[in-house]
Amino acid sequence: MTIDVAHQGGAVPAPSLRRRPNLLRRIVRHWNDYAYIAPAIVVMLLVIGYPIYYTVELSFFKTPPNLAMSQKVFVGFDNYRAILTSQSFRDVTYNTLIWTVVSTFFAYVLGLGAALALNREFLGRGVLRAVLLVPYVISAVAASYVWKWLYHSDFGVIGALSVQFGFTDEPINFLDNIYTALPSLIVVNIWKEFSFAMIMLLAGLQTVPDQLLRAAQVDGANTWQRFWHVTMPHLKGVSMVTILLLVVTNLNSFIIPWIMTGGGPAGATDIWITQIYQMAFGRIRFGMASAYSVILFIVMMALGYFYVKALTRGDEAKSE
Amino acid sequence: MSTPIRNTAAMTATTTSPAPTRRRSKKPIGGWRWAGRGILAFLLLFTALPMVWMVITSLKTQLAALQYPPQWWPNEVTFENYVQLLSPNNAVGHEFLQYFWNSFYVSILSTILGVVIAVPAAYAFSRFRFPGRQALFFSVLLRNMFPAVVFLMPLFLMMKWLGLVNTHGSLILTYLTFGLPLSIWLLKGFYDNIPIQLEQAARIDGATRFQAFFHIVMPLSSPGIIATAIYAFIMAWNEYVYALTFLNSKDKLTLPVGLQRFFSEYATNWPGLMAASFIMSVPVVVLFLVLQKYFVRALTEGAVKS
Repeated sequence: MTIDVAHQGGAVPAPSLRRRPNLLRRIVRHWNDYAYIAPAIVVMLLVIGYPIYYTVELSFFKTPPNLAMSQKVFVGFDNYRAILTSQSFRDVTYNTLIWTVVSTFFAYVLGLGAALALNREFLGRGVLRAVLLVPYVISAVAASYVWKWLYHSDFGVIGALSVQFGFTDEPINFLDNIYTALPSLIVVNIWKEFSFAMIMLLAGLQTVPDQLLRAAQVDGANTWQRFWHVTMPHLKGVSMVTILLLVVTNLNSFIIPWIMTGGGPAGATDIWITQIYQMAFGRIRFGMASAYSVILFIVMMALGYFYVKALTRGDEAKSE
Repeated sequence: MSTPIRNTAAMTATTTSPAPTRRRSKKPIGGWRWAGRGILAFLLLFTALPMVWMVITSLKTQLAALQYPPQWWPNEVTFENYVQLLSPNNAVGHEFLQYFWNSFYVSILSTILGVVIAVPAAYAFSRFRFPGRQALFFSVLLRNMFPAVVFLMPLFLMMKWLGLVNTHGSLILTYLTFGLPLSIWLLKGFYDNIPIQLEQAARIDGATRFQAFFHIVMPLSSPGIIATAIYAFIMAWNEYVYALTFLNSKDKLTLPVGLQRFFSEYATNWPGLMAASFIMSVPVVVLFLVLQKYFVRALTEGAVKS
């Protein structure tokens, strides 16, 4: 670092020379740098910062159904109290937990299986990987309608097949039955997102050193031991990020339940997001829905903390 | 990154010379490999069969689709559903093509704008050390965490206030921010890997910082730009919740919402709906297949560090 051509100081960081000059001076000295991120910051503040603030504000108000916000009435924590003590909140939370945990678990396990199986050269590997990724790429709305058709109570192919093979006497009404509706939707969700886990883990597998696997083999480790003691430790970081991203995606999913069942039958597939949407745009109770959002938001913040931590290990060490 | 493997294993790795035998010939094909094949076969069927059934259904007449037991292969193959959707002269086709164009227009504009904003921001995050950089960067990442619905109500009110409800501008502005966090994150990874000496050399030769950035760094990071652009495009193309909420007039709708409308208007026309779903999937699947490696990179970048 003897050739310091970047005399403006930004290019080569030299923090050790002068320990923390005062903040204002540093900001002034770097004003040029901010120009690069200014557009991003402006857009973010407008579309992210402001909405977060406004959601929190609205959650303390009772909002009029005509959405004239000048007439909103301050109610303190009433919205929160009403939500947290209601029976429907418990039911919806239960559904949300089932939906999130089961979807994430199977998406991860299937993704891991696929990644391990695809992690060696064979004919048609690239094609297979591409085909498996297609559900992840296509629109969730289109996917929901396709599956709705597969599950159709009278003409659905799944019902017809299960009769054909003698599993049931007559086609099952998958989406109108309170016991089968949620599992049916979870299958669709897994179909849509397992290949995301696959592709993440496949990338993670590239970081497992080949020599280590071979060394373990020489030392007499069998396939399972090699997987468990050599491969898995290397996949720990990727797995963390993948599982967190899956959990977040599943907690935020809306399209599949909304299109396929609309939360029904009898609330059997109602999850937090569909409930919030229904509250806000079905019953036009923005204040209540905002309070609901804030609760969800707090859960997300806790997860977000782990997400950032998992994502930036190593990066921290590099930059400071 | 430290390896969590025991030292003994690492020692053996260095002492054993790379074995000349190929991995596969060592053992007979074991149970594990068959298990792997089984998993792949199962997943292939699980993935492909619904899509195959979508295509088969789209080739049936309405009458043929509503039969029990179903016709596994249509008695008479018809392309009528596709013709109807794609001919601008009849009412259905006119509507559908309008949705298609709206989706395309919104997606492409938000993608381009997103890249234009993300490139300098990512460069700044990668190269400069300015106060608040870390905090800003985390706030960028955190966008990934929040559900669309949390932003829906305030954005809806904001768009109403700005007079943007029922315009494509509201969608473009919103989609822009979808892509931004990931775009910035991904591009930052690319810039981190471009040696700073390249820019310094250009600066010695008299280039300004901006010229160095534009002529040296930008071209080198084009794979990253392509990756982020595809990702942003696919996201925008498939987005449903905001489009559902912000748009209300028929001629403005994008495809996902249009599809839903199509479903509620022609409720029993499953073959038509399957054909529409198919056409809607074609652009993103083609884009994905052609630029697969960039897309995969966009997904995995940042999460995987060697």
